[in-house]
Amino acid sequence: MSMTLASGSTSFLSGKPLRLIAAGILLINGMFPALWILFTSLKTETELTAKPISWIPHAPTVQNFVQAFSDQPLHVFLFNSFMVALLSTALTLLVSVLAAYALARLNLTYRGLILSLIIAVSTFPLVTLLVPLFEIMRALNLLNSWTALILPYTVLSLPVCTLMLVSFFEGIPRDLENAAMIDGCTRMGALFKVVVPLCAPGVFTAGILAFVNAWDEFLLALSFNSNPSLRTLPVGIQLYQGEFAFPWPVISAALVVGIVPVAILIVIFQERVVSGLTAGGIKG
Amino acid sequence: MATTTTFKATDAQEAQPANWTRWLDLSDRSLAVLLLFPAAVLLALIIVYPVCRLVYTSFFNLSLTSGLPAEFAGLDNYRLMIGDPVFWETTWNTVLITLITVPGALLVGLGLALMANLSFAMQWPVRLSLLIPWALPLSFAGLIFAWFFHSEYGVVNDVLNRLGFEGIIWFNSPNWAFAAICLTIIWKTSSFMALIILAGLQTIPRSLYEAADVDGAGRLRQFFEITLPLLKPSIVVALIFRTITALQTFDIPYMMTGGGPGTSTSTLAMYIHQNTVSFLDLGYGSALAVVMFALSMCVTAVYLRMIRTKE
Repeated sequence: MSMTLASGSTSFLSGKPLRLIAAGILLINGMFPALWILFTSLKTETELTAKPISWIPHAPTVQNFVQAFSDQPLHVFLFNSFMVALLSTALTLLVSVLAAYALARLNLTYRGLILSLIIAVSTFPLVTLLVPLFEIMRALNLLNSWTALILPYTVLSLPVCTLMLVSFFEGIPRDLENAAMIDGCTRMGALFKVVVPLCAPGVFTAGILAFVNAWDEFLLALSFNSNPSLRTLPVGIQLYQGEFAFPWPVISAALVVGIVPVAILIVIFQERVVSGLTAGGIKG
Repeated sequence: MATTTTFKATDAQEAQPANWTRWLDLSDRSLAVLLLFPAAVLLALIIVYPVCRLVYTSFFNLSLTSGLPAEFAGLDNYRLMIGDPVFWETTWNTVLITLITVPGALLVGLGLALMANLSFAMQWPVRLSLLIPWALPLSFAGLIFAWFFHSEYGVVNDVLNRLGFEGIIWFNSPNWAFAAICLTIIWKTSSFMALIILAGLQTIPRSLYEAADVDGAGRLRQFFEITLPLLKPSIVVALIFRTITALQTFDIPYMMTGGGPGTSTSTLAMYIHQNTVSFLDLGYGSALAVVMFALSMCVTAVYLRMIRTKE
């Protein structure tokens, strides 16, 4: 089931002025908070505290960005977030491709039961695992390591990615694999040389979903990795707050730096993300 | 001697391809087991074992700050919970957040989806305006909206002032702080609702509306008699997932208010985190988590039943 936001045809609203108003509301609703943070990050302290507050920065400055990197090791937070998200995405994809292939292609006796279990796991509250995972990570000496986050993040995205990939794999004709196997490919060879490349857009979408999930996660990162050199971005951003002061322009700059990578990802792959979200990745 | 060696060598040479072929000819069933193995190991390590351990720990007095070894406590932690006003307050806050933000996000999301379903000259800005809030980390949304609702320099109060109203000191009053948190959650989650509903909207055949037009049904009647009923499945799925994530609310109140003033905006997830990570009281933290687990599994059970009846 692939779906793009084609021009709407079934709405009960129509008319050109109405469309303009709707577009305005949609854009303001979606973009204004991010824009406001961008504006704040470009303002000087004097402009920020002027009354009434100015909406557009009149004397834009990059000083806050410089300070965001010098006050705290923002590049370290970025690097940690990026590596943890990337590695857990890779692991999620590998494990879910294998599982999804088994579920889509091999005639399993308990297929229905396994799928129900996967759906049940996808609704699992990660918060409840905080205590036991904390104990396990402590016992394995994994607190303050990427691994302490990569493993839970992989499991966080595994169900959704598997369900998505099952639906994508089922859309590929079996004949293509059979032909490859007759040509001497092994079954696994056929999976990685034929099925996965044909489902590349789907695999990619699942990957973006896993990446965004990991990039966003806060509670486990906050609880497991408190060592400054291992903090991820959402956790590190809190450190800008002083005991009494809250340097909003600098925090805004750090937030902008954190939003940009995902925003770029979304801008480039928006159609795929939408189709993936609606195809099987029902989780928000 | 020599013959034996030669014989053995040939045997090995022949045996190798034979074994290799056997590996290829694994029955579907064994191959399936092999392919599902990594996922099963990960789920067992990160979910099944921890859940068992969670329930087990909840029956123990286990506080890392006391330095005492774990001691079986029976239902003590649960008894403590029943008499703990903070437990009741944080649970009530969690339920209230769920009851306010889930229907709130549905209504806003439905509105956004209906608007996004109009035909626009350019689709991508519309799509992006729904995707950006979805992709924005919850913790970032919490910080951004804390700044929005800032009593002196916040844009919300600025707009109120410009409209001639008095600005509100949002985070000093329990009710206003709670309202600010709910508004933020609704904003953050409505876009995702909208994406799901929009996908549902686009599967409704145009011919239904044309037929309704011929029959003289007005726009409003078409909405209530065609659009809403056909959207029901996607709305229900979105609602259930939103309910489950709402029960886990942590990032936004943690970032916006830290649970304050007092504990008036603290959620059950925040209380679990506080007991576990700050107080290192793993026994009590586990008992709290068991309650949340039970709440969440009830919603999941409803969901699974609905899927089964659909099939």
